[in-house]
Amino acid sequence: MPSVMTSKVIPAPIDTVWNMVRMFNGHDHWHPIVANSQIEKGTAEDQIGCVRNFKLSSGEELREKLLTLSDAETMFRYCLIETPIPLYNYVAELRLIPATLQNHCFIHWSARFQTPKDQTKALINLVQNSIQRAGIQAIEKKVTAHVD
Amino acid sequence: MPRIFVSSVIPAPVEKVWERVRDFNALPDWVPMVAESHIQDGMLPDQVGCIREFSLQNGDRITEQLVALSDYDMSISYTMLMTPMALENYFATLRLTPVTETKETFVEWSAEFDCAPEDAEDLIETVSVGVFETALKALARRFLS
Repeated sequence: MPSVMTSKVIPAPIDTVWNMVRMFNGHDHWHPIVANSQIEKGTAEDQIGCVRNFKLSSGEELREKLLTLSDAETMFRYCLIETPIPLYNYVAELRLIPATLQNHCFIHWSARFQTPKDQTKALINLVQNSIQRAGIQAIEKKVTAHVD
Repeated sequence: MPRIFVSSVIPAPVEKVWERVRDFNALPDWVPMVAESHIQDGMLPDQVGCIREFSLQNGDRITEQLVALSDYDMSISYTMLMTPMALENYFATLRLTPVTETKETFVEWSAEFDCAPEDAEDLIETVSVGVFETALKALARRFLS
């Protein structure tokens, strides 16, 4: 089962980053590939089990379910439940850890999934670059703009 | 029970940093206040259960036991057996995670221990600033040149 992770230290306090990313429905405000997103059935976006239904700027529609949200550990986990992209049993985790000596924030985004063998390489690349790396860069840009 | 958490970024790939910190007998190589260290009873420094006995520059002697070592998680945990500090049940873990975007290393060092309530503030300061911060800054410097 492929697993992919991307991590970076962002020069902003962890609270600033967490306030932004803990909102499960807020990714359309910062992730460059997410065009719009809504929570199904009018549930709260920090209610475990809620589903975000969102559209990519390329047109694909996906649904993801919130599995875990921890303010104590500053992390959340979610899984894909519907996707036109062949990412099966996809579970991802985004975790923040303070870098106490710098008062910066270490961000760690990981995912594992199953996919047809001939597509493994392309999808690892998609998850790593278009989702994780692009997302982390966008988070950094947004929070450091606030800090400055 | 006081808890301590100190973390930082080391400007080197995780494999290089792990090679250094996984050696339970190598404190004198990177922790400035440690003068000398040896492993008791002829055990190896990566043998879980081994005991390191080391002396500080100020002459204090400390023994610590390796209770967990994982090359897979890049983490090392140990307890303190003998120390001049007024604390007990000291348990610490040092863990490394790669920073993939910059090819550096994120290091977390945590500890918990029991002590008399009136000593807690001083002991937290000693361990977090005097030991962990000082050691992590020294570790970072070793990889700068």
